[in-house]
Amino acid sequence: MIEFAPGNLRVPKWSRPVYMVAAGTSDFRKRYPEKKLEELCMDAFRMLLEENDLKMAPLDVKGLINMCNYGEFADHFQDQLLCEAKVHDYLGLNLLPNWGVKTGGATGGYTMLSGANTVASGYSDCTLVLGWERMDEVITWTGNYYIACAACKDFETRLARNYASYYAPMARRFGEMYKVDERIRAEIAVKNRYYACMSPFAQQPGRHTVDEVLAGAIVSDPLRFLECCAMSVGSSAALLCSEELAYKLTDHPVKLSICGGSDTLRTGDRRPMKIPLLPHETEEDYKQLYEDMKKTDGRWPGFESFGATRFAAYMAYRMAGIQNPIEDLDLVETHDAFTISDLQTYGDVGLTLYGQEQEYIRSGDCYLHNPYTNKPGKCPSNLSGGLLGTMHAVGATGIWQCAEVFWQLQNKYDKFHGDPKMWERFGKKKPDDWKSLQVHNPRRGLAISHAGVGSHVTCAVLEKAW
Amino acid sequence: MSEKVKLNTTPSKIDVKNEAWVLHFPRFGAEGTHFHTYGQLTPYFQGLTQGKLMGTHCVNPACPISKGNGELWVPPRIDCPDCHAKMVWKEIKNPQGYIYTYTLVERGGTGLEIETPYYQVDVFVQGVCTIIKGYLINRTPIRIGDKVKAGFLTGDQATHTCLDIYWELI
Repeated sequence: MIEFAPGNLRVPKWSRPVYMVAAGTSDFRKRYPEKKLEELCMDAFRMLLEENDLKMAPLDVKGLINMCNYGEFADHFQDQLLCEAKVHDYLGLNLLPNWGVKTGGATGGYTMLSGANTVASGYSDCTLVLGWERMDEVITWTGNYYIACAACKDFETRLARNYASYYAPMARRFGEMYKVDERIRAEIAVKNRYYACMSPFAQQPGRHTVDEVLAGAIVSDPLRFLECCAMSVGSSAALLCSEELAYKLTDHPVKLSICGGSDTLRTGDRRPMKIPLLPHETEEDYKQLYEDMKKTDGRWPGFESFGATRFAAYMAYRMAGIQNPIEDLDLVETHDAFTISDLQTYGDVGLTLYGQEQEYIRSGDCYLHNPYTNKPGKCPSNLSGGLLGTMHAVGATGIWQCAEVFWQLQNKYDKFHGDPKMWERFGKKKPDDWKSLQVHNPRRGLAISHAGVGSHVTCAVLEKAW
Repeated sequence: MSEKVKLNTTPSKIDVKNEAWVLHFPRFGAEGTHFHTYGQLTPYFQGLTQGKLMGTHCVNPACPISKGNGELWVPPRIDCPDCHAKMVWKEIKNPQGYIYTYTLVERGGTGLEIETPYYQVDVFVQGVCTIIKGYLINRTPIRIGDKVKAGFLTGDQATHTCLDIYWELI
């Protein structure tokens, strides 16, 4: 719809709060022949039970689980339907109910949302949320075709069979409408791939320069190779529970709020709409933008922004009491499958006003350490390395983002990223010049899980609860 | 490499069931064929093979958005998403527009039927509420704002897919 009635804009309410108490993850690789899919899921589950300083023995924690929600993006990569059943059995959870959640790239986020609802409703006291993807059973270009099946089969898939080609026109239009130099996009790739160098889980860590990114091979003009994430294999998990259980299990529980939004599958089908305003925005803020749009047949969200993300943030901020994101949030994990999706998102989640997204990068507040003010960045993004640097095993991604925010809030970045033994576990060596990316005393973080060209998006707010 | 973009595909077979075109979509080998119906969108695909660009629009006076005189949808849909009434077909004569945005596809995924490199374009057409994704037949450099007109693969050339319409610089 393009106009809402008040009923449509009701802010979600839970019957009781939801807490995250543990997380786990495998490492992520383009190809992972060494392990079967369920073995990677077990790696995530084992870490969740054993390495989160829970106040009960791992098997006792397992004894609290009521049900499971599983996330996997695309059946045809493995051709294993009911993969949920195989994983569930392998984790030793059978007879407990489980169900799968599927929303493209936002699968992880929506699986978190689904699992959270089981706890919030009182239906479950303790729910395991676990996601995975295995994308290495086919050659890369066939993988690209499989992913392109998440475009409209009748009108779009045939036009490229490569998802970068559905984002690239957005990059082209965004850049021209908002006068954004490509160097801004390249800087996002440099930042996130550099942060990935500090993560033992990361698939493509790298120290690159903006010039190097822009000199790279073009995947779909104007997107270069280093601006696009890679296919990935791996699994991540989170444990959600009631307030009573949360404080029994950990001294450092994190409260979760999460909401979703959606938009058309085809970008071109997005008719002009009025921008739903975030708590800190006013009509006046966008008067000029609407005027400018008239001159270019522009529209919101159009090709420049994501209505799904704006809607999810609109709801999640009101649910979680976020007034002004760049002030109220201490870190964000955004969906940098392509540099452009990241850049567009800054406006959608209100880190800047629409039309000014590049300021988030230019200000330096996107960094852990702002290089221009010499102070901590106001709200750094993708300290995890993001999708560009660390992973996009699609079904796991949204869950993994929450895990990374969760560990930051618990001041455990170093525990999970800086322990040499964690690096050795994955056959890697902790770099000599490793740096901690722990944000100083963070209180609240955000995770954006995003599908297609913005067909489904979730916005999760995680808050320290001790 | 030719100056104008060509397809490298064979026309898809279609069955006609009660006026609906059912497309034969290869999955794996002949026995893995999917029979995919265009349902009530059939007139669109049929129209392309006849050199016509067909859209649909809402003519329901009670529709809060169209108010009985809705803009055209391309790709079309038969049911109005705003009021759920049946929409009505209308041909867009001499379809022309301008390039709203684009990308140059240098390499597509497995099974791509269009010779690379080619421009995937998004075209703005006056009176159409959607922006139409397609491919450009020219290989010369382009810019947002360049004017284009539609061309069609008709008769024997028709693939019975969305590829039967292309755009060309004016």
